[in-house]
Amino acid sequence: MSKEYELDCMGEACPVPLIKLENKLNELEVGDLVIVQIDHSCAMKNVPEWARKQGHNVEIEEVDDGEWEVFVEKAV
Amino acid sequence: MDIKNNEFYKKWFKNSYTYVAGAVLLSIMQIVTLASTGNPWGVSGVFANWGAWIYEAIGGSVDKWYYFSSKGAQATLEAGFLNHAPSMRNIGIIFGALFASFAASQFKIKKIKSKKQIFAAIFGGLLMGYGARIGFGCNIGALYSGIASLSLSGWVFAVFMFLGAVVGSKLLVKYFM
Repeated sequence: MSKEYELDCMGEACPVPLIKLENKLNELEVGDLVIVQIDHSCAMKNVPEWARKQGHNVEIEEVDDGEWEVFVEKAV
Repeated sequence: MDIKNNEFYKKWFKNSYTYVAGAVLLSIMQIVTLASTGNPWGVSGVFANWGAWIYEAIGGSVDKWYYFSSKGAQATLEAGFLNHAPSMRNIGIIFGALFASFAASQFKIKKIKSKKQIFAAIFGGLLMGYGARIGFGCNIGALYSGIASLSLSGWVFAVFMFLGAVVGSKLLVKYFM
């Protein structure tokens, strides 16, 4: 049974969201989902880029002005 | 029609440009800057002048300060903010960035998450500002413009900036994670 986690990175500048996600993914099982909440546009670029390069499934949703949720499903 | 879904709007205002597009634009602007003002692009030196003008506005004097002791520096301070092309450029950067975030409808006043963030921002800002002044430039004036002018100093700056970034990253992971 895959689990879902929220990772609150609001107000965190680069590269904090990326490192937090990396640490979180290390604890999880394949198939688990992390929803990273960010409000720094630079994280909106480097978080999905890194996760895709690692082979995870990534989707981005703009939830409000300058706020995003990045859905990362651990795939490897 | 809905501007949000307009291809042109998305391409030019909403989505971030690629690194290559940014690099090409920076290079063109850099050439324009050198050709039109006679000086390579710089950012942080301007803030020293702003500080001096603010200090003078409240009654201080920087005449005797070593940093402002050259004739050129005195003449620049004398001529004032409105005649200082690099100051106008920095204002342009600040308002340009503001405009870009409005245009992409991504403007947001971010909340401060912890006291650590305040401390890190102030301490980091002071270190960067101080370092940029005793290094006679920041990553723009000393690094970018230095290398673009085929100066060895730009490469020396690059090596030590990289070492500084390594140390900074270790500190960040240790104290901010």
